[in-house]
Amino acid sequence: MVPETLALNLLGPLTPTLIILVFLTPLFAKVFRSDRKAPFILALLGVLYSVVASTIVFLYVYQSGKPLVYLYGGWPPHFGIVYEVDAFNALLAMLTSWVMLPIVLYSYWYSHHFDEASWYYTLLLGLLTGLLGVIYTGDAFNLFVMLEVLSISAYGLVAYHRERAEAVEAAAKYALIGLVATTMYFFALILIYAGIGSVNMALLAMLSRFSQTLNDPGVRYLTLLALALSLWAFTYKSALFPNHFWLPDAHPEAPTPVSAALSGLVVNVGIYATARFLYTLFGSDSMLSGYREAVLVVILMLGVVSGVVGAMMMLLQRDIKRLLAYSTISHVGIAYIGLSAGFLTGYEEAVKIAVAGAITHVVAHSIAKALLFMSSGVFIDATGSRDLDDLQGVGRQYPLTSISMIIGFLSLAGFIPLIGFYSKLLIAYGYFVAGLAIIPVLIIVISAISLLGYMKAIVAIVFGVPRKSVERKMGIGWVEVTLFLMALSLIVLGILFYYLTPIFEKASLDLVKNVGTYVNEALNYIPGGLSKWLPYMR
Amino acid sequence: MEPTEFLNLYLLSVTIASLLANVAISLYGVFYKPHYTKKIIAVSILSDSANTIAIFIGFRRWLSPSQPPSVAIATNLSREGIEKFANVGVDPLPQALVLTAIVIGLAVTLFLIYLGYMLYCHYKTLDMREIRRLKG
Repeated sequence: MVPETLALNLLGPLTPTLIILVFLTPLFAKVFRSDRKAPFILALLGVLYSVVASTIVFLYVYQSGKPLVYLYGGWPPHFGIVYEVDAFNALLAMLTSWVMLPIVLYSYWYSHHFDEASWYYTLLLGLLTGLLGVIYTGDAFNLFVMLEVLSISAYGLVAYHRERAEAVEAAAKYALIGLVATTMYFFALILIYAGIGSVNMALLAMLSRFSQTLNDPGVRYLTLLALALSLWAFTYKSALFPNHFWLPDAHPEAPTPVSAALSGLVVNVGIYATARFLYTLFGSDSMLSGYREAVLVVILMLGVVSGVVGAMMMLLQRDIKRLLAYSTISHVGIAYIGLSAGFLTGYEEAVKIAVAGAITHVVAHSIAKALLFMSSGVFIDATGSRDLDDLQGVGRQYPLTSISMIIGFLSLAGFIPLIGFYSKLLIAYGYFVAGLAIIPVLIIVISAISLLGYMKAIVAIVFGVPRKSVERKMGIGWVEVTLFLMALSLIVLGILFYYLTPIFEKASLDLVKNVGTYVNEALNYIPGGLSKWLPYMR
Repeated sequence: MEPTEFLNLYLLSVTIASLLANVAISLYGVFYKPHYTKKIIAVSILSDSANTIAIFIGFRRWLSPSQPPSVAIATNLSREGIEKFANVGVDPLPQALVLTAIVIGLAVTLFLIYLGYMLYCHYKTLDMREIRRLKG
């Protein structure tokens, strides 16, 4: 049993410490006159701390069964910023830290491509800070701030190879619309604050369900508008169908480890925030019930379109990184399909299973996609080209990486016994329970189309005939081992899935059903109870 | 209705309407103006309009039309006076939010301007119709 004080003492200083490390990185590079090693060690320290902290927080939350609340500066919810961690965001934060660890290690090998590696590590740590901040926070405005920390690091990393015109162009398009999206989220927060009167998530969840003053239709339409604006921002960040246009440009143009972080982790943030808003904040019993279900149906349709479009576009690609980027769009679509099961009111079991499937899919996709981007980086480094024609047969020189890549592709395609199979199975099963057989069929169709794209990449890289002989580069052994360990984790998670189901089920339950515990844990910290303070709130 | 009250209400409506029009115009600018600098200007107009709306939210109950915003001034700093003021005074939270948003907006805008400079170095133009090396 993990003691509560330990979990709290690791959770609270996490993002502040990471921010300090971010600003120490360029300083250390100058002081120690080492552009690669010192920043790398700092980044590694940061990511190791976040791995330990997020794992212990997860263990505590899972064992105690109730959310963990950290009050910054001791201020109670609504008046101060709080971090509130239930099984859902504890799981996602743990995933983020653990996937970030191989990415940082890989960056050290990859850093011969960087001219100023210290700035790269600065931005990468900033990205990690933003990711953890968005996932852990229990305050909707703090989510905005952390989303901006995350976004500006991501823009900077996409434009990192600034001598490449394509990278600058992709970053400019991503950043321009990204700023509009986050501003829209800020606007939505203002409207929520005007209508409901708080930006704390737990209080919003409670007030949207029980406040009598919110029965006014004006307030309801205002909140609905705010929900629409914030969902636009979140779906932009996670590249759901009409907002996916930036991803196939931005993700491939970034340095390869960053592509892994963007495709594996950053899109999760949008999915996470959408889930928080549509289940915890405005659930089926809230003031938006009815409208919310309509929104979820729209998201379901967009998810299906996203899955199909991503899979189809994958077939047309010659560039391995663009192929992987379109596969990200397809898988984000599948995760949204699972997530949008909340419109099935009356089928609580179905919603629970489908949402658990969506969470599993996020986990499966993150690990597999990070693995695939990093192994494609090994091949691209060997040949100096991203074109599948030039990559023919290069996998033969790197057998371990090739095996890892095949496992990653198979997991994405959904083969037994990899975890990617179980995630799709759970989503499909959830819809079956509710009697909607069309959705499982669509998931199978999406998987079938995307399987062709995966096969194209595997056949070209591993089984193709080399056009010119490619030498195996030296000093890559430990990178291959790291990649293989990631592939192994996909198999292990799949084989042990029977024993891991309670984890995903608990995460889904905390999101879908246990909103009361989420609210109560935060309200416990308000001195004298909420009713004493309500007159002073809006 | 008193003339001053009417004037207040009228001016408030005009302000809110023009702010919302600002939002609409800036969105049009971001998506349909071809020039990169104009897009950046449109985004800053957008964030400034959102910030101004946030400041207006701070004046309590401007949503209900019968009460235009009025600024309460804390004169009595006794316990009761502060308690009374906390009920009617201008809400400081939106101002804190706006302060944060302004700083963030400044940083991102600066970064966008730098990207514009790099774009110009590569393409010798800032017309987004000509900057199309990527397929999208």
